[in-house]
This record gives sequence, structure tokens and C-alpha cells, in this order.
Amino acid sequence: MNKWLIPALTASLVLGGCSSVPRGSIPVVDGGSSIGSAQSGTPGGYGNQSAQPQALPEDSGVVVMVPGGGGSSMPIQSFPAGNAPLDTSTSNQPWSAAPPANAQGGYVAPSPSGIPSGGLTMDEQLDGPVLALLTTAQQQQGGGDLNGAASSLERAQRIAPREPQVLYRLAEVRMAQGDAAQAEQFARRGLSYASGRPALQASLWNLIAQARERQGDAAGAAQAREQARVSL
Amino acid sequence: MRPWLGWAFKLSLVGLVVLAVFAVYLDAVVQEKFSGKRWTVPAKVYARPLELFVGQKLAKADFLKELDALGYRREGAVSGPGGVSVAGNAIELYSRGFQFYESAEPSQRVRVRFSGDYVAGLTQAGGGNLAVARLEPLLIGGLYPAHQEDRVLIKIDQVPPYLVETLVAIEDREFFNHFGVSPKGIARAVWINATAGQLRQGGSTLTQQLVKNFYLTNERSLSRKATEAMMAVLLELHYEKKDILEAYLNEVFLGQDGQRAVHGFGLASQYFFSQPLSELKLEQVALLVGMVKGPTYYNPRRNPERALARRNLVLDVLVEQGVVSAEEVAAAKRKPLGITQRGTLADSSFPAFLDLVKRQLREDYQEQDLTEEGLRIFTSFDPIMQLKAESALADTLKRLSGRKGVDQVEAGMVVTSPENGEVQAIIGSRQPRFAGFNRALDAVRPIGSLIKPAIYLTALERPSQYTLTSLLEDKPFSIKGQDGQVWSPQNYDRKAHGTIYLYQGLVNSYNLSTAKLGLELGVPEVLKTMDRLGVEQKWPAYPSMLLGAGGLSPLSVANMYQTLANGGFNTPLRGIRNVLTAEGEPLKRYPFQIQQRFDSGAIYLLQNAMQRTMTEGTGRSVYNQLPRSLALAGKTGTSNDSRDSWFAGFSQDVLAVVWLGRDDNGPTPLTGATGALQVWADFMRKADPLPLDMPVPDNVVHAWVDANTGQGTDPSCPNAVQIPYIRGSQPVAGPACGIQAPVNEVMDWVRGWLD
Repeated sequence: MNKWLIPALTASLVLGGCSSVPRGSIPVVDGGSSIGSAQSGTPGGYGNQSAQPQALPEDSGVVVMVPGGGGSSMPIQSFPAGNAPLDTSTSNQPWSAAPPANAQGGYVAPSPSGIPSGGLTMDEQLDGPVLALLTTAQQQQGGGDLNGAASSLERAQRIAPREPQVLYRLAEVRMAQGDAAQAEQFARRGLSYASGRPALQASLWNLIAQARERQGDAAGAAQAREQARVSL
Repeated sequence: MRPWLGWAFKLSLVGLVVLAVFAVYLDAVVQEKFSGKRWTVPAKVYARPLELFVGQKLAKADFLKELDALGYRREGAVSGPGGVSVAGNAIELYSRGFQFYESAEPSQRVRVRFSGDYVAGLTQAGGGNLAVARLEPLLIGGLYPAHQEDRVLIKIDQVPPYLVETLVAIEDREFFNHFGVSPKGIARAVWINATAGQLRQGGSTLTQQLVKNFYLTNERSLSRKATEAMMAVLLELHYEKKDILEAYLNEVFLGQDGQRAVHGFGLASQYFFSQPLSELKLEQVALLVGMVKGPTYYNPRRNPERALARRNLVLDVLVEQGVVSAEEVAAAKRKPLGITQRGTLADSSFPAFLDLVKRQLREDYQEQDLTEEGLRIFTSFDPIMQLKAESALADTLKRLSGRKGVDQVEAGMVVTSPENGEVQAIIGSRQPRFAGFNRALDAVRPIGSLIKPAIYLTALERPSQYTLTSLLEDKPFSIKGQDGQVWSPQNYDRKAHGTIYLYQGLVNSYNLSTAKLGLELGVPEVLKTMDRLGVEQKWPAYPSMLLGAGGLSPLSVANMYQTLANGGFNTPLRGIRNVLTAEGEPLKRYPFQIQQRFDSGAIYLLQNAMQRTMTEGTGRSVYNQLPRSLALAGKTGTSNDSRDSWFAGFSQDVLAVVWLGRDDNGPTPLTGATGALQVWADFMRKADPLPLDMPVPDNVVHAWVDANTGQGTDPSCPNAVQIPYIRGSQPVAGPACGIQAPVNEVMDWVRGWLD
């Protein structure tokens, strides 16, 4: 993609956001960290509200990592945009409850670089309510409260029904609850909304692979792993 | 003299022993009941809590309606929990906090800023941004035991200022000094009754009143009075004034709501003011305390003047007793009664939805657990959606009332969230506030053309055989069914439409071509598709099933369309999210479950055709009420002689099914399009949903097709339209037409297709 396309795309995104009611995923800001402040007026489509991002570090570029296979044992991590946010090497870790995650400690404040990241323009960026609820769910899961975590994630799903990261986390928690069949289903639903997000697709396929393994479907698992490889 | 004294002594000794034995017995009774579980509390059913976050679509008017239903006080400056102040588009409120299944929501001061129909800002009192906050959920009903006693238990430290002082001043001034019975009080009562020449005042202490309500029957006799006094003394012997007072506050009868008896100040506060007891102000406290003397006589809803006079009398006593200053009382007396409209809490408010909840609960709980354990049931019920559905039904029936026979038409309606299968609203009758036959769940009626999407989906799952532009013959035919009857379907307009594209059969709801397609596929295959869509039916595989002779309830239809709306993922419809115990401990969850039943590509093609139904087919009148930019998908249904008028359809975030028909199954003047669709469209206008926008699945391509021939073409050619296909089933692209001046009309025509 040509470099000049990025600002052009950004501008059209912003304009589009200003002029129309966004569809489906209102509270989720998709876009590169560099345009965080320029975009802050757009997610709701409510027009010219004054931007408030400066006072709000978590709005201006936190990239939530989608944890890889062993993600349930890690707190939500944030990465400055541009880092490869995936760790797919831990798929063999058990799904056991993890030690409680520190509420604040899991966050790494992003360095507000202002440099267009390029690589992850449409990926892995969440804000506001969804980020808050995913964090809560992570803490609950870390504390062994899987039902609470699932419940918080369902709350996030009601707010952002088409956000694949929410579906991914729901799948993870179902897996931790021992329901591999539902884990696979939620990961598949996540895939249907993850178009154009190869890293996330790979994570979802890996999760499907584990779910299939757990269900005794070795061939299906191998297929899913192949899909994960192709996605990246 | 002496033997007489001796006898008397012996007799009184025997009497004392008998009395002592009786006292021991009473003591056991008193202690047993007071130390155990004192009350059974019915399960309470809550609506979904309203979530607040920046970017949320929520009209300010709807938000205020919810706050009013929750009993928030409009104030100039927010003073405490349950207060709200409105200044233009900015609303400040002090939420009450609530224990939910997954977490506790704190009571906090929140500023909400609106812009258009969106939440544009959400901040805490200090000015910090708030990611997400929840209001407490609206209580929409309870599950009552046979004796229909209801209460909201309160602790003595939750009572508002002046409640205890007022109660003591009015009912038992010596309460904190006596030992259960009050000789002083009795003396005063005797004197007052004697001077008045009639029974005006009882000398009962609060303790005696509690004993009477708690342990004894309503009989009025001297021996019962003596028992009551003894028990009161015993109660005071064992328990502190604080405990006795708390029990009294929870036990006292304060009103009758239909079948339900309102007990205790906690429930009375909810019932009359829609507020938690702790938030009540002086004048509200005075009103409730005044009602203790005669809950029916002083019922503020039925006898407001009497209640007002009683309240002000109570307030005067408070000045007399030096509890409150004269100025405060003067201010309190100027306030109106402040009683909320009846129905916000009454269990008859939303009977159709509660009916669904009860049925689901009875599968998992004993009746006794539901009516006695004080369970808290959290549901997906959305009061804002429910009110919009109710008003859409009422407005539309009023608009249609000119037609003969419409006044006999009944209704059922179900509203769900297609993205997670939660039931948001249910209407079981055209008078939705009256409990009775719940048509949304129990009216099983022929679904007519609502079945057609299942036929077309069965076809579109076979992309090598069928695409949206496959050709079908729409012409009359007859076949002999398995039941031996000859079946000759007919189109609604009694005409044949010749060779048509497959999608046109669905869009225009042609019976001939659809039935022929269904027979090609096989009736059992179509019924299998219905199964996979989530509809449990045991219909015989007769050809007439292809035109919807089989019956379903509106709720089952919602289940079926849910799968179509949610990309082929089936989700069992749910009305309950989770259950907490009376103590707020998690008890049970009803998790969100999904299962992919259909290829998302086939669903995408079907949704495309169902959107065309709305833009150019049998559902097109919807856009008389709604903007064209709002993408919707749906299907009309009409059974023979218009006995049933159906519409089922969805946007991105709202799915609704409407049925209109007569209970006696008589003909109506309404088709699916002129009846149910009108209710549906009016509801969608009020609900203001998001346009349907299913992401294009990987296996779907859009190809340019000549609208006249169905052959592949090039976008530069006249009559070129874009149609989605499963990859590999699209026609081969045609050569470019060279003429690079496609007239504007053609482009508009193309755009029309793209919309």
C-alpha cells in the first residue's frame, strides 16, 4: 500500500465517522494509534464534540494484546502500536486458573510517539467500555472466577457485539471452563468479524485447533493450525 | 377463714404453675419464630441494567424515562443517591449502586452528556472519564407464594432519618421505656376511650402489635389480649429494642396491591414512591407512618385527601413532640404526596415477559425456592423497547381501526437482540398490561410465507445447483400428496409469473415457484432446515408445509429468524441472564451459547434476498415509514383467508416478530403486509435500529450480471447489476462494453441494486 494512502484512508475514516451513524461497533475505535486524538470525535458519530483525549492516556494508543494460546494465565498486556502482539508459542499450557492479575500492573503506558504505525492500522485497538470490561474479565479469570469473567465478557459482547477480540476472550474462558465445543463456536464467530486482521485470525485459528484437540479431533486441529499459519 | 385462705393459696399456686407452664410454652414459641428465618421473601425479577458509555446510542428522553421509572428525584443540585439534575443535554445523577452477578456497581456521582441520540460524555464527579457505568436495574415483578405476601427486607441501619422517631411518636411513645406492655399507654387509651364513649385508641405497644401480626390470629378477645401481652413481655425479655423495631418495620402491613399484600416499610417505599427506603424525606416518612393506622383507609392512591390530612397530622405531632422544628414541618407540609403512578412495580406490569421468565425458572427451581428464598433474577428485559413495542402496537391498531374486523384482532409480539439471542420485550395481548393468554408464547398459528426463507436457504446451501439468479418457473401445477389429496397451490394475486430469478420468488413471495423449488429440494430437506434453524416441530412432510401450513408461536418464529439474522449461528433465546441468592451470592448463570448451523455464505445470499423483500418486494411499504438508508431484512406471512397476519424481520441489532389474528381463528382484513408489517415498521421507527450490515464472508464474491439475461457482464455494460454468489458459482464475467458513457440512469439503477 502506498504511503499516501494511509492519511487518505484516515481522513476518509474520520469524515465517514463524522457524517454517518457507525454500524455495529460503536464503542470500538478501529484505527492506528497516530490518529487517536483526531478520531476521538468520531466513534459515536455524534458530531463535533470537543476532543478529550489528551487527558486520557488509555484512549490515545493503548493496544490491547490478544493473548495467545496461554493467554488466560496472563494479564491483558498493552503494546505500543507496531509490536507484534501475538504469542502463539504457548498453546500447550494448561488452562488452569492463573494467579490474580494486578489491576493496574498489567498495563504498560504506551509511548505517545505520534508516528504512524502502519503495520497494525486496523488491529487490536480497543478503547473505553470494551477495554474496561475485558480488563475486569481478565482479573476475574485470574482470580479463578470463571463465571464472573464469562459474565463480564458477555456484558462486553452486548456493548460491542461485533468485536472479535471479545469473542476471542469468550472462547478462551469457555475453554478454561472446560467447554471446548463452545470455545470453538465462539472462535468461529470471532473469525467472521476478523476479516483483514491476520494476527487476530491466526490466534482464533489456534484456539480452534486447541478446542478441536480437546474434543479429540486431531485432523481438524491440524487443519486449524494450518489455517493459523496461512493467516499470518 | 383459715381453710378458705389455705384453699385460695393452694389454688393460686396451681394457677401460677399452670401460668408458668403456659409462659414457658409461649416463650418457646416466641423464641423459635423470632430466632429462625422470620419471613419468606418472593424471588424478585429485574430488568436489564441500563449501561452507560461514550458512543452508546441512547435518546435523552428514553434515559430520563428510565430514571423516572427508577424513582430518581429531579433536583436542582444532586444531593445524594437517587437524585438527578438535568441541564440541557447534560444530566448529572447519583446512582444507587447495586450488587450484580459479575460485580458490584458502586453508588457514584455520574455526569452524562448527550449529543443527538448518543452519549457523548461520561464523567465522574471529579471530572475523570468513566469507561462504563450501570444504573441499578428496574424491578419488574416477583414470584409470589400462595399467600401473596411480599416484602423488601431492610436493616435498622438503612432507615431514613425520622422514621423511628415518627413511628414511636405516633404509635408508641413509651416504646424505649416499657417492657413490652405499657401501663401508661393503656391508661391513656382507657381515658381517651372513656371520654369519647367509643373505642378510639388501643393501648398496644409496638411490641404487642408485632406479636399480634407475627404470632397470633386476628381474633379480638380478652384471652388473646392477655396472651399477646405475655408474649410481648417475653419478647422484650429476650431481644433488644433494636431487633424488635427492625422486625416491626419489616412485618407491618401497609397496603394491598391486587392479590399481593405489601408488608414492611421497605416494600411500601418501593410501592408508593419507587425509591429505596433510605432515600425517603420527612414528608414521605410521615405518610407511611400515618398509614400504619389504616392502610386501606389512608391509601394515598385511592384516598389522596385523607392520606394528605393524615400525613399533615403526623407532621404536627412531630412538632408537638419536639422531634422536628416547626419550619421543617411547614416546608414538608407544602410538598405534594409524591406517589408514583401505579404500575411501575406492580407485578401485572409486564405479564407476558414475566410469564416467560417463570417458565424458564420452573425448569430449574422448585416452586418453594422461587417464592420463599428471596432469589434475585436478572433478565434481559428492556423496558424502553417494551414501551416502544406497546405503543407501536397501540398506534398501528388505532390507525387500522377503520377497517371492519380490526377491533377483533389480537396480537403477539417478540423483540430480541439478534446478536446474542436475548429477549428484550414481549407482548402477549393487544392489551399488554393484562395478564392472560400469552399469545407470544402460546398462540401456535400457521406461519404462511414465513417459512419461505427456509426453502430458499436449503437451495442456496447447494451453490452448484442454485444461485440467487437461477431460473425458476412460476406456473400452476398440481401434485398428489402422501395424504392422497391433490394439492394445487396458487399465488396470492392468482396469476402466474413465468420464468423468474430464484430470488424473485422469495422477494415477491410467489407460492408457485417457491412450492416447486421446495418439492425439487424435498419437503423433508426443508423441514430439516427448519430444525437446524432452531425450530422444534413435528410437522408431517406434506407439500402444504412448504407454504406454511404448519403452526408456530411468535417466540418460535423469533428463534428461527434469530439464526438467519446472526450469520447462521443458532442461539437459544434467553430471557434470564443470571440468578443471585438473597445475600447477593452467585447462584446460576444462563450463559450465551452459539452454534454455527449454516454456512455464512448461504446466509449472506439469503439476507441479500430478504433485504430486497424490503426494498422492492412484499415488505416495501416499510420504507413509507423508515428512511431508505436503513437496511432491513424480513418476510411477510399470511395464512389462508388472512386468518394470520405475520411479519418477521431484523436490523443489525433488533429482531422483531409480529403476529395479528383472531383468537377464534376467524378471517381478518389484514395480510402480513397490511397488518403485522405496519406494527413492525412503526416499532422499528421508534426503536431507531442500526442498519443491517453482515460482513461479506470469505466464500462470497460479487459478480456483475446483466439484469435482463442473468449472464455475466461487465460494469461498463448497460443493465449491469452486482449480485453476490458463493465463490465458483458466479457467471463468467462478460466482455467490457466499450461505450464508456453509461447513462446516469443506468448508474442510478446500479446504485439502487447496491443499496
